[in-house]
Amino acid sequence: MSGLPPEYLVYPHRRRGLDHDFYTHRNLAEAPRVAWPGGKPLALWVAVQAGHFPMDMGNKPFPMPGGTERPYPSYWDYTQRDYGNRIGIFRLIRALAARGVPATAFLSAVLAQRYPLLLRHIREAGWEVAAGGLDMGRPHHGGLPEAEERAMIREALDLLAGPDGARPKGWHSPGFSESMNTLPLLAEAGLSYVADWVNDDLPYPVTTKSGGLLAMPISWDMSDQRMLAQQHMATGDWVESVRRTMAVLRAEAEAAGGGRVLCLTITPWVMGQPHRIAALGALLDEILADGAVWPATGEAIAAHWQAQTG
Amino acid sequence: MLSEPGHYDYAPYAGRPRITWPNGARIAFWVVPNIEHYELEPPPNARRMPWTRPIPDVLGYSHRDYGNRVGFWRMAEAMARHGVRGSVSLSCAVCDHYPEIIERCCELEWELFSHGTYNTRYFYGMSEDQQREVIRENRETILRASGQSLDGWLTPALSNDETTQHILAEEGILYTLDMLHDDQPMPVKTRAGALISIPYSLEVNDVPLFGMRNTPPARYAEICKAQFDQLYAEGAESGTVLCMPVHPYLVGTPQRLAAFEEVLAHVTGHEGVWLATGREIATWWKQHHLAEVQAWIEGLPA
Repeated sequence: MSGLPPEYLVYPHRRRGLDHDFYTHRNLAEAPRVAWPGGKPLALWVAVQAGHFPMDMGNKPFPMPGGTERPYPSYWDYTQRDYGNRIGIFRLIRALAARGVPATAFLSAVLAQRYPLLLRHIREAGWEVAAGGLDMGRPHHGGLPEAEERAMIREALDLLAGPDGARPKGWHSPGFSESMNTLPLLAEAGLSYVADWVNDDLPYPVTTKSGGLLAMPISWDMSDQRMLAQQHMATGDWVESVRRTMAVLRAEAEAAGGGRVLCLTITPWVMGQPHRIAALGALLDEILADGAVWPATGEAIAAHWQAQTG
Repeated sequence: MLSEPGHYDYAPYAGRPRITWPNGARIAFWVVPNIEHYELEPPPNARRMPWTRPIPDVLGYSHRDYGNRVGFWRMAEAMARHGVRGSVSLSCAVCDHYPEIIERCCELEWELFSHGTYNTRYFYGMSEDQQREVIRENRETILRASGQSLDGWLTPALSNDETTQHILAEEGILYTLDMLHDDQPMPVKTRAGALISIPYSLEVNDVPLFGMRNTPPARYAEICKAQFDQLYAEGAESGTVLCMPVHPYLVGTPQRLAAFEEVLAHVTGHEGVWLATGREIATWWKQHHLAEVQAWIEGLPA
């Protein structure tokens, strides 16, 4: 057997720290101690993934989580997801509003064009309008030319600009997928934070040749789409995982003297189903019961973190 | 291609020589934290692409990076609280990337063994010389970082090739975890002689349980405790081994930490449990049982 090419045993990035320069390695214990408003141990961040899944999206260059699973034309997949933007999200809005909890909506930008009424309702609910790419069929990935990706980001931010011209501060790429250019392009486009890297329970700084960003700790492994849609787990399993997460983060915050972020990543077509929405409400009641959390948008959490950590 | 590994003869669970552990323990329990680094831009391997998405696979990469930033620290404290040491299945490049993790492992008196250089550099298709080069380099790295000898081996992502076990034996490795054929240590037949297989596990391994079998934390604890209870009961007749492989990016998450601790509390709450490392199990078994088991296997009717 001739073996693999010699470069297979060459390790160009074997060194102290990470094998890239987007951020530095940090141990949880060394994270800055940030006090949330009111001295609450936890910031509660509800991150809503409001995606548009085109019926002809296909599965290239990789199958999009939550994307079309059946042969074209899958009315099943398309309409089940579209339900989220017609019905499900209104249940989420109502459940959160009843409890005074704001949310960040990571929106497929084409929704602003397709469903301007949806955007109006989201803004009226006081949710943060953040960018979730153009749509779920147009992922950012390593095969994308830089100029094309730059144009995609600009178009998404233009589409999501508010009536006052305000552009989103936060970004979440479809399917948590990026190219090597995504972070610099997001910084170049003037975004403040990005929620794609699921490697921390607290924010951390990202540096790029075009400026800095804050990486926000969005949850993926505990998101409703992964657990309930992809992994076929029960609603109660998600609730229990959130409970367990809150207990650990709260104990750590109280022991370490620095706030933690409890992120609930939820999806209108998943959590907004009639059979699930009551469980979300009950869970929020439990989370809010003894005043341990500061419910906030991603933008507010990021701004607060930046202000205290410089 | 081979139709079987060829590293062991059939040896039924019934009628084996009795295995005894130190202080009359019924079961050797060992926890194997897989402390790994997955490269953002690994080279391709014809038999397996490291990532499922085009490079960079930000989701896959960052999910695993959580283990080194966050999960490890929580997991290590949890193990320390229960007096359980780890035997680290180590991507040896972690010694260079995150020396503070290695320092903590050493403070806790954990064993380090090799899980290759990176978990994105597979052994599939490597020449014998290349495999040898990796093993030797890993030995030097572990010695430099911890002062420990390299005694154990788990091929990155269980990607061993046909010749790997032979080379491990030739390079003086004491025990391998590449095979899942038993609940007790067993001799491994190689062209170079002595190598020992110590039970690893994919049944109570957190990767298949959480990532493929969609297991909620409470059920994870249930499965691991049931695995222990059975092997503990069988250990009254002859010593067994329970290996619990974990990954800091999985058990070190807030949603799973308590379930992991529940298992550790359950195990350490029993009498007659040997809280061992891989090296200790292999050394003891080699010294006390290898010859007897070997002779028994050779005497089995064909």
